[in-house]
Amino acid sequence: MTYKLGISRLDELIGDIKSGTNIMMIGPPISGKDDITNIIAYQGLLDANAAVIVSTREPGNNVLEWFERYNLDVPMDRIGIVDCVTRTLGFGAPDTDNIKMASSPVDLTGIGVKISQFFEHFWMEMHLRETRLCINSLSTILMYSNLQTVFRFLHVFTGRIKAANALGIYVIEEGMHDERTIVTLKQLFDGMIEIREGEEGYQMRAVGFTPKPTPWFDYEIDGANIVLRG
Amino acid sequence: MMETGIPKLDDYLHGGVPMGKTLVYYAYPGVEGTVFGMQSLCHAMSNGVSGVYVASSTEPHRIREQFNEFGWDAEEYGDQFAIIDAFSGLIGADSHERYVVADPEDTRSLTQCIKNAMEDLREPGVIVFESLSTVMDLCGESETLDAIEEWNQYAMLYDHAMIYNFTAWPYSDDTLLSIKEDVCDSTISVGGIAGEVIFGQYFGVLKANWTDVIRKCVLFKVLKPGGVRAYIPKILVTGPFDAGKSTFVHALSTRAVSVDRLGTTIALDHGHVDHKGFAADIFGTPGQARFDPIIKLISGEAMGVFLVLDSTRAEDFARGRQMLEITRSFGLPVVIIANKQDCDGTLTLEDIRGKLDMPENMVIMPAVATTGEGVFEAFETLIDMVMEVG
Repeated sequence: MTYKLGISRLDELIGDIKSGTNIMMIGPPISGKDDITNIIAYQGLLDANAAVIVSTREPGNNVLEWFERYNLDVPMDRIGIVDCVTRTLGFGAPDTDNIKMASSPVDLTGIGVKISQFFEHFWMEMHLRETRLCINSLSTILMYSNLQTVFRFLHVFTGRIKAANALGIYVIEEGMHDERTIVTLKQLFDGMIEIREGEEGYQMRAVGFTPKPTPWFDYEIDGANIVLRG
Repeated sequence: MMETGIPKLDDYLHGGVPMGKTLVYYAYPGVEGTVFGMQSLCHAMSNGVSGVYVASSTEPHRIREQFNEFGWDAEEYGDQFAIIDAFSGLIGADSHERYVVADPEDTRSLTQCIKNAMEDLREPGVIVFESLSTVMDLCGESETLDAIEEWNQYAMLYDHAMIYNFTAWPYSDDTLLSIKEDVCDSTISVGGIAGEVIFGQYFGVLKANWTDVIRKCVLFKVLKPGGVRAYIPKILVTGPFDAGKSTFVHALSTRAVSVDRLGTTIALDHGHVDHKGFAADIFGTPGQARFDPIIKLISGEAMGVFLVLDSTRAEDFARGRQMLEITRSFGLPVVIIANKQDCDGTLTLEDIRGKLDMPENMVIMPAVATTGEGVFEAFETLIDMVMEVG
């Protein structure tokens, strides 16, 4: 049981990602991390995986609209979103089949319950054995909760990813946190996708999957595709 | 004594929580623990007890919506219900609650509000914490443990019951042990059956210092509306052809479906029962011998069995007994349904026992599935038997 990111050059270089892997994606603001996260989730849907996206930055409906915007053929019965935003905006939206509402990004207990419910549903009722969990982003959660709290939460859920043979992607905003925070959180992950600002735009590389990091690649996001150059 | 309103839990606690005592719902991450405190609060208020809810990770108006989602209207209790808002201050939002914690990251600020609320309660009431773990995350582990001691002393002084929802994130071993074993008079474990994923939830009493603990685990489901329901994942309904199994399943179920041809079940009946705090999925087998291979498949992992018999057809009883063998039901709790009690030529329960050659302790209950008479009494009896085994 292995996974691919859906980012072609990186996938070629790092090969198949083994099940149970937890990946931190870290990069500067406005570098396209939301798109990249959704593209990785979409690759999972193409590979007949289930995808669970925890959205702490925008309402769950906006995440679904991203897939609609690019006319992607999304199997709705295999996608679940934990929406940590809508209810903090004062809307009393009920849970739907695809979107479960958490009270707020502070409510890690509630977020954890919703993630577990989606995992149970996909495993027990849909008999799906490959699931991707994308948390976008940890930085928002860190705004409301201290490092220790978030570490404890991640300690549990990175373990659950391993137990479920799933793939975990966790997004962090570079520059928002001190070095100690990043170093502490890194302990929990098996690999990283690093993003930096290059001379002609943004660059990315993968770290921790091969003995040496991959080279830095300039990239462009074209709709639901990432084009790597160099 | 204050009932918790959680099915079976009050039996295990011999009536509930005495006023002045404290209870913690000790939930494992990913398991639906918060609803336990909410349900206990609403149940207590419905019995005339005043309630205070300490909101630490949800906005107060959202808390009220959550209560409504479960079918509990906290507002109907008027002044009998209050929220201590320990959340709005965290996100810099305004609050219109009677009690607002100025600094949710300081236990002293929270303690002051709790003390005020306790003093304002005219009679012994209940204080429920939405999430003790969030308080601990914000205020620190040792500070929170110290504060709990203080809150519990106030509760004892004013004869209020304290209920904490706690999620057992990986805090220090000492903290977890303290919450689990020391700080409260009673601990209810709320856990998950975990393999690759959490595929079932249970609760059980770990400790209650006012009574002898009944150490049994109860599987549960959380329904909206409804709240915590003791849950039996599989109850089998079997019996000879035309005994009324499908009718029995449909009479019991809030929703049910049958795979049949011209009214005869050819694959299975499936129904979901939600009755008096208990939920169960029930599976009915076909009755004809040619379906015996399917019956074996359907019957695996059942926790209890209804054997439905047509009380007027003694000639089918041997087949009924045979079906208990096919479904490997011996050893499981079994209730025999003496159906069609409204028809002419009905045998008495003792006649049926004799013709089946069943022992005295085998439960046989009369029913008329077409009218629903006796079906819920039989369900309650089987649930009690399953819970006794559990």
